[in-house]
Amino acid sequence: MRTGATVRTAVTGVGWAVAGPDFDPVTALAVRGMRHKDRASRFAVRAARRALEDAGLLDAPELDGAAVVVSSNFGNLDPVCDTVTTLAAGGSTDIGPMRVPQLSSAVSAAWVALDHGIRGPNLTLCNGASGGLDAVAAARNLIAAGRATAALVIGVEPDSPAVARLHRETAGSRWIDGAVGLVIEPVRQAVRRGARIRAEIAGYGRAHDERSAVRAAGATAVPRLGAEANARFGRCSGALGVVQCALAVERLDDPDVPEGEAVLAVAGAGTGESDGTSVAALVLRLSRGRHT
Amino acid sequence: MNTYDGDRRVVITGLGAISCLGTGVAAHWDGLLAGGGEPAEVPLPHLNMRTTKMYLVDRADVPAQPASHAGVELGSSPRLAVAAAEQALADAGVEEAARAAVPVVLGVELGNADMQEIQRSAGRTAWTTLTPAAAVVGAEIGSRAASTSVGNACSASGYALTIALDMIRAGEATTVLVGGAEGITRAGIGAFNRLGAADPVRCRPFDRNRAGTMFGDGSAMLVLEAAGHARRRGAEPYAELAGAAWSCDAYHPTAPDPSGDQIVRAMTEALADAGLSSSEVGCVIPHGTGTPLNDVVESQALHRVFGGRTRALPLFSLKAMIGHTTGAAGAFACLTATLMLRHRTSPANTPIEQDPECDVWVPQERPVRLEAPAVLVNTYAFGGNNTSLVVRDVAGAVSDMAGGGEGAARVGTGVAGEDAEGARGDHR
Repeated sequence: MRTGATVRTAVTGVGWAVAGPDFDPVTALAVRGMRHKDRASRFAVRAARRALEDAGLLDAPELDGAAVVVSSNFGNLDPVCDTVTTLAAGGSTDIGPMRVPQLSSAVSAAWVALDHGIRGPNLTLCNGASGGLDAVAAARNLIAAGRATAALVIGVEPDSPAVARLHRETAGSRWIDGAVGLVIEPVRQAVRRGARIRAEIAGYGRAHDERSAVRAAGATAVPRLGAEANARFGRCSGALGVVQCALAVERLDDPDVPEGEAVLAVAGAGTGESDGTSVAALVLRLSRGRHT
Repeated sequence: MNTYDGDRRVVITGLGAISCLGTGVAAHWDGLLAGGGEPAEVPLPHLNMRTTKMYLVDRADVPAQPASHAGVELGSSPRLAVAAAEQALADAGVEEAARAAVPVVLGVELGNADMQEIQRSAGRTAWTTLTPAAAVVGAEIGSRAASTSVGNACSASGYALTIALDMIRAGEATTVLVGGAEGITRAGIGAFNRLGAADPVRCRPFDRNRAGTMFGDGSAMLVLEAAGHARRRGAEPYAELAGAAWSCDAYHPTAPDPSGDQIVRAMTEALADAGLSSSEVGCVIPHGTGTPLNDVVESQALHRVFGGRTRALPLFSLKAMIGHTTGAAGAFACLTATLMLRHRTSPANTPIEQDPECDVWVPQERPVRLEAPAVLVNTYAFGGNNTSLVVRDVAGAVSDMAGGGEGAARVGTGVAGEDAEGARGDHR
């Protein structure tokens, strides 16, 4: 477990569960097994399955020692508000028993682990707007520290009545309703199993201010991802960094992009979606031919 | 950045605590020796449920400041966190100038919920950030490094400690402030009532009449530091955070896996990470919540890890004395393990009528002397999120444990300041 943080890690799978041509939440979230799950968990398990499929790791033995890392700030907001209202109006006996697990911020990560028998670290971050990038970095760190064989990172924010109200009260007009998943694994393992390496994680930094974070990520000269995430989905909150990484991977997927091209994602204080806490910066780099 | 390449071991150099046992680490230890706290009625209206008690911090001890942060009014949890953080940093002797580079990693599950409930009761319904504690602590101590809020329910601060450990090992920081804080929330108590997992009498793990857990509020904080860095600045470590491991049951969203396979794995891997064998563990602070299934499964898992030695291995059932502090439970347990190593003793447990299905040793008559250099800590949570941590005596003090030293009955009865000085002298 004490291996140094020198293990190279890469994104090998991306899975979207956001309304669009190939995903209809109305039908996709109403399938068998969803009944007792909250909306965030429903999105999370769909994104997880798609990301694992994309990486070719569905039902793979590598998953037993893998990690699940979820970033979500409002995933359990609706169940919590709902429960407080129920208690105020009646009593604890009026709470639906299947609503209880949904009070935990960690419930989506638990469902994803249950769905795929993933028994490694199971981590949930509620870090504000930088949480998604922090989750990707946490996945990298878990692999580098020898605590996980691979990691499934999910960024998820549901659009529920409580979340919608929160956004409206804070001058929001549009926000994401969905999840995105990334599979992160050691480059060496990805090469060994013949997986397609979409992008390598080339740097990460977090600090109180943006300049320090970018410097810590070693990315002062790296071209930065614009406001695509917010332009496409509105506010992304805890899902933001994971959405940014998925968009960066899409950009690097373009066959015209030269080897070694890198993209910098920045989220947190002072950026487009700011919450006044710390800033994270993460670099993804294309490295098609440099795996061995 | 951690530029001290030599010794990458991670030591504990500062402690801070506020709980139903009082304010400060000396009050915590003396409170444990005195038999722990008593449940009290939760001072909130609209508690429409059967169990309405918690192990509560004396309301007069809850700091009034900071009252707000970035426009968010703060409830008891972040305020307790700031007070415990200041204690821990002062205890470690981390100077103001050095605090800018100290990351903050906190386990906070229920967050600022009590303030939100107070505001809601008063008819104010505007939403505010639920988990500001890490950011508040960072701002109050003058940190400009990253702050992290870990949301892994009842194992959140166990996870936070592991993250902090890995940050130092990886060279990302030399010093990390880590811990947990919890206030009061109706939603949490109501949920456990609904599950039939809230004991109306007290928190009584391993008792045949246990009827669920009972919550406690408070905050526990630890300063973790690279051993080489601590040595260089002349800080005397209390103990070493020698190993940690995580696992996930992937079994059920709330109930533990009755096989206990994954909690066995977490304990085994934590010991391996620490480079210790199970025979080097002198005491275990179990997760032991008082929920019927958890305590049986954990007892059986301990037998699988410790074999025939289990019945002679003392457990210290911390939650029976301060309640289940949920997101702060792992930090309180590690802080207690550290104090146990410092005093070389495990306090006498709260008397129970032991469940024969929980075939473990919960010594109740008197404190037990630690006969081995390490204490194992378990924290588990909803979702089958398991952490085990190993706290061990700092190297050099290990040989002292075999002979001499103070008798268990005398431990902790001295004046707090003298006690601390004396114990730290042991490690020199």
